[in-house]
Amino acid sequence: MRAPTGQISRFGTLKTLLQRFAFLSLIGLTFALMLIGKADTVLVERARDAVTDAVTPVLRVMSQPAGAVADFVNNLRELAAIREENAELREANARLLQWQSAAQRLEAENKSLRSLTALVPEPTATFVTARVVADTGGAFAQSILITAGQSQGVKKGQIVMAGEGLVGRVLQAGMYSARVLLVTDINSRIPVMVGEAGNRAILAGDNGLRPRLLFLGNTSAAAPGDKVVTSGDAEAFPPGLPIGQVARVDEGVVEVEPFVVRDKIQHVRIADYGLTGILAQQPPQAAAGK
Amino acid sequence: MQATILQRMDGAARRLVPFGVTLVLMLFAMTPTYVPGLSHITPLYALMAVYFWSIYRPDLLGYGSTFAIGVLEDLLAGTPLGSGALILLLCQWIVLHQQKFFNNKPFGVMWLAFALVAAGASLLRWLCVGLVETSGFTPVTEMAASYLMTVAIYPIVGWFLAKAHMKLLAQ
Repeated sequence: MRAPTGQISRFGTLKTLLQRFAFLSLIGLTFALMLIGKADTVLVERARDAVTDAVTPVLRVMSQPAGAVADFVNNLRELAAIREENAELREANARLLQWQSAAQRLEAENKSLRSLTALVPEPTATFVTARVVADTGGAFAQSILITAGQSQGVKKGQIVMAGEGLVGRVLQAGMYSARVLLVTDINSRIPVMVGEAGNRAILAGDNGLRPRLLFLGNTSAAAPGDKVVTSGDAEAFPPGLPIGQVARVDEGVVEVEPFVVRDKIQHVRIADYGLTGILAQQPPQAAAGK
Repeated sequence: MQATILQRMDGAARRLVPFGVTLVLMLFAMTPTYVPGLSHITPLYALMAVYFWSIYRPDLLGYGSTFAIGVLEDLLAGTPLGSGALILLLCQWIVLHQQKFFNNKPFGVMWLAFALVAAGASLLRWLCVGLVETSGFTPVTEMAASYLMTVAIYPIVGWFLAKAHMKLLAQ
């Protein structure tokens, strides 16, 4: 009777030891991964590409019910407000018709002036449209996964827009999926112009709802309500893309409310302006090694 | 009595339930809700699942599976690689080492214990992300909001997990 019990307890001890060993080595591995993630970004990026490509079809299916519910709720809301909206639209239409004639006049004027100055035209953009299938990172990172990748012509560094304005930039592009770094992410830095004066600044995300303006020479140069648009510095963005408006100026801190609300984006447009930008450059280590 | 192939396959599939459910919850955390303000405070769903299975079926969710789910989450979410896996592993380790405490405790106690574990996990994740990212720390308020959401939603997720446990793994 005693032998088997002894055997079992010996097996038990062995199992506990093995488990402890597994636990400790896996904990060690997580720290190793954190270091690798910092040191070898190319390897980690490739791994991320492969995984997002593989999981995006699953996420696409999983995101469909929520999308359907959101559409349904939107429809109901629109139905409820249809009369007022119609009146508003009629008014807006009348206003826009006036603007249209103004725009046509200005376009003609522009054309004749350009012919006088021999201006080199800005590159026109090509667009790809994709669906948002995942909103990842929660409080710790702000990115979305979309259903277009390299096979659709999406490349790292390209600009992502939604109806109201800038969403962010393509951070990594897999074959059939891509990750977009939102303007609110802690790693996002965008050269911008503020207000009508066009004061230069950097719009920096902090994983909160409202990114902040850095390096704005004089904070009194920004007032709540001022529009914030891309400046085109560093050749990462074409100038003039709308991002948001200044929401609060408080003791040197200028907060910007983005036009695009992260939670509401269902589709995005990925624009290729043919800009190389800072993201598409070689990583610093590789450049330094040469 | 010898089990037939079908029975054996059925058994194997059932043993995969904890891993599968945790994986699905991890992916569920990423699906867009289209509700304004929610994605900022996405609860740590995978943590809830790891906590639950470590209490009720520690035999069916090993450290290796937990690690794999954590790394997959980091790869997908764009968070520093390893940070998600670290908190899941530590949560599992703590629960496994306090098995006696968790034995036959009422739900309120389990919830409170989860609130403690999740607090440690959120803080550690926040530290890891802040130290690894070159751009600095996420605002504490964002982390706290996500933590409160995690604790608040645990009873609902726990109820679903308990249903899955009873339906699929009752023996």
